[in-house]
Amino acid sequence: MATVGFRNVQKTYGNKVKVLHGVSFDIQEGEFVVLVGPSGCGKSTLLRMLAGLEDITGGEIVIDGKVVNELESKDRDIAMVFQSYALYPHMTVGENMAFSLKLRKADAAFTSERVAKAAKILNLDQLLERHPRELSGGQRQRVAMGRAIVRDPKVFLFDEPLSNLDAKLRVAMRAEIKALHQRLKTTTVYVTHDQIEAMTMADRIVVMHDGIIEQIGTPLDLYDRPTNLFVAQFIGSPAMNVIEGTLRMPSNGAADTVVEAAGGARWPVPPQLGGRQGQAVHYGIRPGDIHIAPAGQGIAAKVIVVEPTGAETELLLQVGDAQIIVVIHGRTAALPDDTIHLAIDADKAHVFDSASGNRLG
Amino acid sequence: MSRRMSWKSVTTEAKLLLIGIPLFLWTIIPVYHLFLFAISSKDSATSGRLWPKEPTLQNFSIVFHRQHFYLDHFWIQLWNSVLIAVSVAALTLFVATSAAFAISRLKVRGGRTVMNLALFTYFIPAAFLAVPMYKTMGNYGLLNSQWALILAMVTIASPYCIWVLKQASDKLPFELDEAARIDGASPLQLFRLVYLPLMVPSLVAVGTYALLLAWNEYLYAFLLLSNDTSITLAVALGNFLSADDSPWELLMATGLIYALPPAAIYYAFKRYMVGGLTAGAVKS
Repeated sequence: MATVGFRNVQKTYGNKVKVLHGVSFDIQEGEFVVLVGPSGCGKSTLLRMLAGLEDITGGEIVIDGKVVNELESKDRDIAMVFQSYALYPHMTVGENMAFSLKLRKADAAFTSERVAKAAKILNLDQLLERHPRELSGGQRQRVAMGRAIVRDPKVFLFDEPLSNLDAKLRVAMRAEIKALHQRLKTTTVYVTHDQIEAMTMADRIVVMHDGIIEQIGTPLDLYDRPTNLFVAQFIGSPAMNVIEGTLRMPSNGAADTVVEAAGGARWPVPPQLGGRQGQAVHYGIRPGDIHIAPAGQGIAAKVIVVEPTGAETELLLQVGDAQIIVVIHGRTAALPDDTIHLAIDADKAHVFDSASGNRLG
Repeated sequence: MSRRMSWKSVTTEAKLLLIGIPLFLWTIIPVYHLFLFAISSKDSATSGRLWPKEPTLQNFSIVFHRQHFYLDHFWIQLWNSVLIAVSVAALTLFVATSAAFAISRLKVRGGRTVMNLALFTYFIPAAFLAVPMYKTMGNYGLLNSQWALILAMVTIASPYCIWVLKQASDKLPFELDEAARIDGASPLQLFRLVYLPLMVPSLVAVGTYALLLAWNEYLYAFLLLSNDTSITLAVALGNFLSADDSPWELLMATGLIYALPPAAIYYAFKRYMVGGLTAGAVKS
């Protein structure tokens, strides 16, 4: 177990292409941190720099208080699980898991004990004699994790480990990785582009975009108080509804401030919002924070599509010029072309300055 | 419908035969002549018959017992061929594998340029390089030493082998190297424990190629070696023709013997050869 620190870490390829513009954050001992962002945001590069597979152009990476910039991968005491598993095809499962200890010239009895222990944790006991080609995708992924566990490293690194699995297996492995972390409590850095993976697994999430950090926080922090439009739209599924509009403050800062959208709809905002009269804003409201109101009250909306999923119903609605998605619990009698009325949890609305994308209030 | 289908398959078959039969004859007729001469007695060897009146194994007996002036050093020369071919294969494998590993996996700076320069040597026919090679070996004092031929053949075989191995190793996923580095492998351990085991099929193919190239080499062997006890059997075979009255039946019998080991090796490693030499030929 160890702490990890990034201090103004930068990465430039060649002399031109800058992929990381100075990234700084700290990871606590035993913490499960997920780096998430769209492809090309620099998250994998950052992980590979931590692993020692990429040079560090600028700044410092610190593991357990020690700057590791110049250390070889093997001397950083980290273990990594790759998207493609990267199992050695010519070795059995047992040999794959024992490889790192063999290279360290560990005692044979010690090695086999560690391999057996890891195999037991991951349910691989029966497969130790098999070759990777004889395993299913999920089993291979577990062997890759086993190879990491056997080392008992300071830090686990996961680089999109579930991307090659089908949807059902992905959910199962997600839970398995989380359970593994709760059991071993090893500091873990996990890279994914899938925000649901990030939300479900992380102690803290680092949202990255275009080589900078957009926001760091617990999953629910990010969900409840995204600091900017990017995070707001990236985190949450279905994604947050975002409507362009103008801030209307009848008596500067008063409680009846609204965002007026094109087409005339007036969206309620949370109290103590700040901002100024006439400011161009993006108004955000999550699909689950909108409810159906009794007829005649709230905002009128026209039903376009109804998508029942059993426990919930997803509605695609037209409000003024904007289309929004509403998720309601249970079922609805609404049909396409009906007009329904919406009540908004104003406390849960988010307002962002259109120019900067930053949160108001 | 089924008539048309069968008509189509018949024409396909016919087209294949049309190509196949001439190709088969083209390959087999010289070999058949070799065989025919080898089992004919001296008098009937050039009779022009398709099968000798009295087939005999007498010629092989003469060869194995060295009962002819040209065959005095038969066993030594055969051994020379084996020694040189195996040495060339081993050295070429060492050079080519190391180079391919450095270029493809360690991504040594300038590696690709080196490979391209090596391949560039094939623009000049090997025969043109024979005399410069002779002079070079002379400068190193290696003339009439078997090392001269071994080194020359390694030089000729290596560029192609490096290229084939580089293409094959480019296909190995790079994550394997990264995983091994994180697991604590030094470049040498990576080479020995991960790279070599995964390259075995290509190594067999390339090794066989170099072995056969050296085994079959005549020109360089003829130039660089002159002592009767240091030449290869290929050169010795050529010497049969230096007399007015060449013993054709013995030449062919010896030739047949000389042709058997490569055929056996090729047959044994056939499944590696086809896969290995074409691996990486097409970018997938």
